[in-house]
Amino acid sequence: MNPTLPLWIICALITLGTVFYVFYLPGELHLGPRKSRLAFLRERKDVVYENLRDLNFEYSAGKFPDSDYRSMKASLEEEAASLLAEISRLENAFPDSIRANKGVRF
Amino acid sequence: MSQIGSFALLLALALSAYSFLAGSLALFQKSSATDRLGETARRAGIATFAAVLLAAVVLVVAAFTNDFSIAYIYHHSNRDLPGPYKFAALWSGQEGSLLFWSLLLASYGLVLRLRHKTDTRLFAYASAIIAGVQVFFLLLLNFAAPPFGVMQGSLPADGTGLNPLLQYPEMVIHPPMLYLGYVGFTVPFAFALGALIMKYPGEKWIHITRRWTMVTWGFLTCGIFLGAHWAYSVLGWGGYWAWDPVENASLLPWLTGTAFLHSVMMQEKRGMLKVWNVWLIFTTFLLSILGTFLTRSGVVNSVHAFAQSSIGNWFLWFMAIVFAACLYFYWKNRSHLASEHKLESLVSRESSFLFNNLLFLVACFAVLWGTLFPILSEWVEGHKITVGPPFFNRVMIPIALLLILLTALGPLLAWRKTSLESIRRNFLWPSVGALAVAVLLMLMPSRWGTPFGMKPWQEISSLYALMAIALSALVAFTVISEFVRGGRVIRRHTGRNLFSSMVQLGHRNTRRYGGYIVHFGVIVIVIGLSGTAFNQNKEKEMGFGDRMNIGPYSLVCRSYTQDDNPNYASEWAIIDVSKNGKPLTTMYPERRFYKASEQTSTIVANHSTLQEDLYLVYEGQNQDTGRPVIKVHLNPLVMWIWIGVWIIIVGTILALVPNAPAPVRVASPAPAREPEPEPIGAGN
Repeated sequence: MNPTLPLWIICALITLGTVFYVFYLPGELHLGPRKSRLAFLRERKDVVYENLRDLNFEYSAGKFPDSDYRSMKASLEEEAASLLAEISRLENAFPDSIRANKGVRF
Repeated sequence: MSQIGSFALLLALALSAYSFLAGSLALFQKSSATDRLGETARRAGIATFAAVLLAAVVLVVAAFTNDFSIAYIYHHSNRDLPGPYKFAALWSGQEGSLLFWSLLLASYGLVLRLRHKTDTRLFAYASAIIAGVQVFFLLLLNFAAPPFGVMQGSLPADGTGLNPLLQYPEMVIHPPMLYLGYVGFTVPFAFALGALIMKYPGEKWIHITRRWTMVTWGFLTCGIFLGAHWAYSVLGWGGYWAWDPVENASLLPWLTGTAFLHSVMMQEKRGMLKVWNVWLIFTTFLLSILGTFLTRSGVVNSVHAFAQSSIGNWFLWFMAIVFAACLYFYWKNRSHLASEHKLESLVSRESSFLFNNLLFLVACFAVLWGTLFPILSEWVEGHKITVGPPFFNRVMIPIALLLILLTALGPLLAWRKTSLESIRRNFLWPSVGALAVAVLLMLMPSRWGTPFGMKPWQEISSLYALMAIALSALVAFTVISEFVRGGRVIRRHTGRNLFSSMVQLGHRNTRRYGGYIVHFGVIVIVIGLSGTAFNQNKEKEMGFGDRMNIGPYSLVCRSYTQDDNPNYASEWAIIDVSKNGKPLTTMYPERRFYKASEQTSTIVANHSTLQEDLYLVYEGQNQDTGRPVIKVHLNPLVMWIWIGVWIIIVGTILALVPNAPAPVRVASPAPAREPEPEPIGAGN
């Protein structure tokens, strides 16, 4: 018997197993939703809320005087408000897609 | 055995090439029919891991079974080599270390591909890019530096053994740590490039890669300091950092990676610095490749470079292709990286991050310039000109001092802009404290082994040391003030004691307070480094009963002797040490001769305390008298460096832990009465 025959058999089995694993795809694939403008805006909203929380916390810790705090808070609230407005507009414009949790691409 | 290893590497190359090509095709052919193609690409990426792992296992088994028919095992192992070093043979030579690089990349890729449900499309882009990088390393392993090459002629009875410098416990973990760091930056790079190619809306990709980046940074930090500790313990020159090209190569991606870790916060919080951040992570990845290239190609001379070969051109071409791809996609999609906000004030947290980044970049450029200067000078003038530690120290110390200053200032500044009143509130007491420390250091009577009694007007090294310690004190005071202030807020809400409130504070915002602990670790390291200004050393031939004094220590040679085992022969001295006249310890500086490789190595004897290290080196024997020559170094504050690294590790781990619920709730702002449809950010 050729002494390298067992090696050839092992290599062939590994190759077959690999091909089977890579190309045999039973059932549905998990594709996940495509990221929408709405999802992006919600992420931004969360970030702005987190910034507001940080600001409140730092103010409570005595890091900023009142005037600085009010100005920074107003600026963040303005940003949050415009985000909420756009989220609200999109939710009203595409209620079915949102209910189906598919997201809307723009 | 070698045939299975070679086969596994060929299979891995085929799989990663398929993963790259099919994955790219599936992403660029935007139709639902290609979804299944994309899934096969993902699975091929997972299978790549299994194939590379098989190759690595074969190499390790070959080392343990003394299979010297494989040239790599013959050159990097021998029969009497202890088990852990046989395992370390996997990364001790060029071919093995490239295989190890490939294995780590495949492991990172495996985790990423298994977690693809987080964001299928973004992960598919990252997976294809990682597969592309994997193809490069597997091409090298299959065609330029194959680890399973066989010996020609008769089978050797024993191997030539592992380089003695590598036969040290830390060398079993230092290279894996460093490589985990180098390779790990491929992941944030792949996500950044993928997000740019697909014009990913928003900054979620940063959120997804944050932990990858921090873990990678943590590994690289550990790798760098393990390397420094290894150099300190093995090379026997009394120091831990010599601005060696390979040391510098590991520092380069660390500098840009650290800059990236800071600047991404601006992108997450304010949607700023998007272009800067993608180029930072592109640069960090390219510098990681450059680091591997410098370590493995032999283009620069280094005590850490354990391989020399002609694979340099492969790396240069790869770096050129990666750079071209980054440039192309940046140019094509640059509009996607428009900033959402502008810098409002020079006195703000944003600007402190910006200055911090600029300093890191300047430091990186200086280190790169000094490292590559021998190569550049050879091209221009025909001979190598090396710039040594004086150049690096002259440039890097002022940069480091400025960075420490920014480390203190940054956390106390507000986002957007900071008023004078705010600055006064936050900086007054930390600054007074730092000033008091500086005055104390100068006024206290001088005492060996302590930084007291400094005279900064006499020596530049003293001035630097004083500034480093005072600025470190400033950072420490600001970190403490952040914890105490935050703790007080929690205490008001929960009624707990201050310490418990501070612990809870750390859990509530792990990233921020973990980061502060990392900063604290950094300044502990800086204090340790500043001890270099007060180093002393002496050398003496010591016969039986001979005495040598240094600082408060007195050393007496009790005896000197020799030993022999299958792996090495050794000679060492037995030195009795007393401090201020009181017996302290006995130390055994040693020199070994490794039989298989016919090379010598130093085993340093080190008595380490918080105050200083007493570091003894067996330099060799006087050929005429047969008596040992002992060199003694007295290095203050070195232990602080290693303690600082542990603090950094703790801080990094804390920063990786998810946040507990926030203690302070914010009511949702009311929607604007007049909706403004102006687009915010990049979501298109």
